[in-house]
Amino acid sequence: MKGLKRFFSRFYMVLCFIFFYLPILVTVVFSFNSSKSLTSFTGFSLRWYQELLGNGEIMSAVYVSVTIALLSTAISTILGTLTALGLSRSRRFLKEYLLNVNNIPILNPEIVSAISLMLLFSSLGLPKGYWTMLLAHISFCTPFVITSVYPKVRSLDPNLANAAMDLGATPFQALIKVILPMIRPGIFAGALLAFTMSFDDFVISYFVSGNGVKNISIIVYNMTKRINPTINALSTIVILVIVAVLVCVNIIPVIRKKHRRKESSYARHRKWAWAAGGVAAVAIIGLVAGIYSASQGGKKTLYIYNAGEYINPDLIPQFEKEYNCTVVYETFESNEMMYTKLGSGDSYDVIIPSDYMIERLIKEELLQPIQWELITNKDNLMDAVMDKSYDPGNVYSVPYFWGSVGILYDTQVVSPEDISAGWDVLMNPKYKGNLYMYDSERDSFMVALKALGYSMNTHDTEQIEEAYNWLITQRDTMEPVYAGDDVIDNMISGNKALAIVYSGDASYIMSENENMGYYTPQQGTNIWYDAMVITKDCQEVELAHQFIDFMLREDVALANTEYVGYSSVVTSAFEEMQKTVYAGINAYVPDTDNANDEIFAYQDTQTKQLFAQLWTKVKAK
Amino acid sequence: MKHFKKLTYPYVLWSALMIVIPLILIAIYAFTTDGNTVKTLNFTGENFARIMEPTYLNVFWKSIKMGVITTFICLLVGYPLAYMISRCREEVQGLLILAVTIPTWINMLLRTYAWMNLLADNGIINHLLTKLGLDPLKMMYTDFSVILGMVCNFLPFMIIPIHTALSKMDHSLIEAAMDLGANKVQTFRKIILKLSMPGVWNGCMMVFLMSISAFVIPKLLGGGQYVLIGNLIETQFISVGDWNFGSAISLLLAAVILVFMMIMKKMDAKDD
Repeated sequence: MKGLKRFFSRFYMVLCFIFFYLPILVTVVFSFNSSKSLTSFTGFSLRWYQELLGNGEIMSAVYVSVTIALLSTAISTILGTLTALGLSRSRRFLKEYLLNVNNIPILNPEIVSAISLMLLFSSLGLPKGYWTMLLAHISFCTPFVITSVYPKVRSLDPNLANAAMDLGATPFQALIKVILPMIRPGIFAGALLAFTMSFDDFVISYFVSGNGVKNISIIVYNMTKRINPTINALSTIVILVIVAVLVCVNIIPVIRKKHRRKESSYARHRKWAWAAGGVAAVAIIGLVAGIYSASQGGKKTLYIYNAGEYINPDLIPQFEKEYNCTVVYETFESNEMMYTKLGSGDSYDVIIPSDYMIERLIKEELLQPIQWELITNKDNLMDAVMDKSYDPGNVYSVPYFWGSVGILYDTQVVSPEDISAGWDVLMNPKYKGNLYMYDSERDSFMVALKALGYSMNTHDTEQIEEAYNWLITQRDTMEPVYAGDDVIDNMISGNKALAIVYSGDASYIMSENENMGYYTPQQGTNIWYDAMVITKDCQEVELAHQFIDFMLREDVALANTEYVGYSSVVTSAFEEMQKTVYAGINAYVPDTDNANDEIFAYQDTQTKQLFAQLWTKVKAK
Repeated sequence: MKHFKKLTYPYVLWSALMIVIPLILIAIYAFTTDGNTVKTLNFTGENFARIMEPTYLNVFWKSIKMGVITTFICLLVGYPLAYMISRCREEVQGLLILAVTIPTWINMLLRTYAWMNLLADNGIINHLLTKLGLDPLKMMYTDFSVILGMVCNFLPFMIIPIHTALSKMDHSLIEAAMDLGANKVQTFRKIILKLSMPGVWNGCMMVFLMSISAFVIPKLLGGGQYVLIGNLIETQFISVGDWNFGSAISLLLAAVILVFMMIMKKMDAKDD
């Protein structure tokens, strides 16, 4: 009977741990994948480990993540434990107040805490970077410590400390020798939770940091378009390091103990204290070293802000070397995130946003005109990408990449006649439950409006209403999945037959899965441009122009489009790619002769609210 | 022990600066109109009136439902595990608790991608099923996949507090109960469960709070049609740029949660 129970409990534990470690196992396996995909394993290789070691950005992010997590865990554990101790002795009002306030960071959605802390730091005038990130982490870690420690304190016998003091202990001694050992499990649990929260945080870290300070999560999230197994390789190494440390810390004392049973537990605790002190010292030394290396003076510094995974990483060091300057390169996940950070007072010299956002930045007078006489390579630009509605005459912007939005389809499943129906194929009951729509109100309403033959920049409420009904009908009859950038990996694995994608992503998917085709409907679509702009408060105007000029150089543009996979704006690179890497892939060559095609125009907040509200209704039934 | 009262002062100061002031900023946004600047204060209740639409109320309802289900499953799975861990030798306990936590140190996005990989129509599990001659299952973009992802992510936050409560339990109490004639079920209910209650509340609260405002996991494993409150707030702040409406939703969410916690506290107090 007892044996059976023991067996069941072991069995249950093993089952739980399989559940915990299954995704980790998958992560580890894919770190050895020979292709970029995170969903289909194509062969064994060590290329991602090689790339990881060569990637300075990731290495410095590891440094930031680890030191921030250690420091914020240490500080919040101390702060939280002291507060929990005091709390049990406080007056009722203060206790209630603190316990409720303490819940706010836990219950607030991260984005709300992030925005509110960003507002706080901006209004205090603190420069965003390592220290603001640390402060924010302490602020959301401490509540977890208090929540873990306080119940332990509450369950203590209140006479314990008094007894100790009656016996001659000072309050400090009573605390250290009597109270702390009793509540140790709570402190340990709180510290563990704090470390976990800090190490994996993205949203708050993103909004409160700046000046090139990034943690691992910021890098991963801004990679969403092209997450690649480099991060899996990093995770594998993290796991290995943790396991190694655990083995050392836990196994060695056990073995030793077998040899020398008499070693007192007091000595063991002291050893732990030494170890903790050592870790803290290393962290602080590393921190100081990090700050020193970051503040290398003398050279000019250029602050660049671009979408994630949207440049060939070799080009930045090349530019730094050729122009003897330092580049602080930061990335954003979406144009809107970029705008939010810009609005909070972060300053950059060169930004690379999309057309409609450029239109907005021009309207809000945040940009300065391009001095075209400084752009010696301007003749390399294709005529087809110049002088568009978002910035007539290219007064403020220099094109970077361009493309279209279209339908990616599985040629094995979707017949040519069906796809030639254009957007209407998305209503074809044959493909019910077998398609991805793009989870963005702009792109989805573009599809509906174009399918109905209207302009995608319409303000006519009747047309918008009609498009809304189109999307509702489509939702009810076709059961589409509204996906984000995860559609890229899903289509490479061929999980569905149809998907709405950007042409640059389509080129990449088609080069990984040869069964896929790309079609831009005759009814017209969105042609988009991403372009380089210089901000109004740019500190290094000349260097900013030099960077733009550099990106237009033929060899640089080719290296960039080869890496990113989006359509180049430089004639020679654009033509070269069609002959080599993307030979036969039509998605690389956006249409230029369809009169129905349009560029997105800037929407005022009211229009945006309307579309967002309708889109929520479509999605949330 | 009166001396300890002073120990709260640093945190009172800290929380005022880092928690209360930012919250006031959000509250000001929630009750005003006029874009992203709080220079001109135009007070209004309109932001709250807008939430009263059936679509948004539905989103609220769905989020609460998901939060409750996730919390319940985490408790159901986590309690036995925490209990079993607490019955191991002390050295092993520490190791096992770490083993529960380590997976959360791997980036959440990566772990969610791994689940997508396992559950997809052409994914690893379906691949194995077809090899065994079984029909493939549809797992992605369902309630199942979303709850699975959330449970996997939030379970440690249930296990750790429960284990903390159980680990330092006085075992002589259990023996005493048995000696006094209580059977196993009675002992568990009246002694073990009761003594671990603070841990259970703590765990439930943390898991509930995290799952009610989650948005990355539902979005990836449930698809964009899985609109939850976290998602709604995220959209308002980032893609629409309507901070006022976003603040109003998050204030309302905070209110809903406070009500939940008050109910829990009442039950907790009854237990004492």
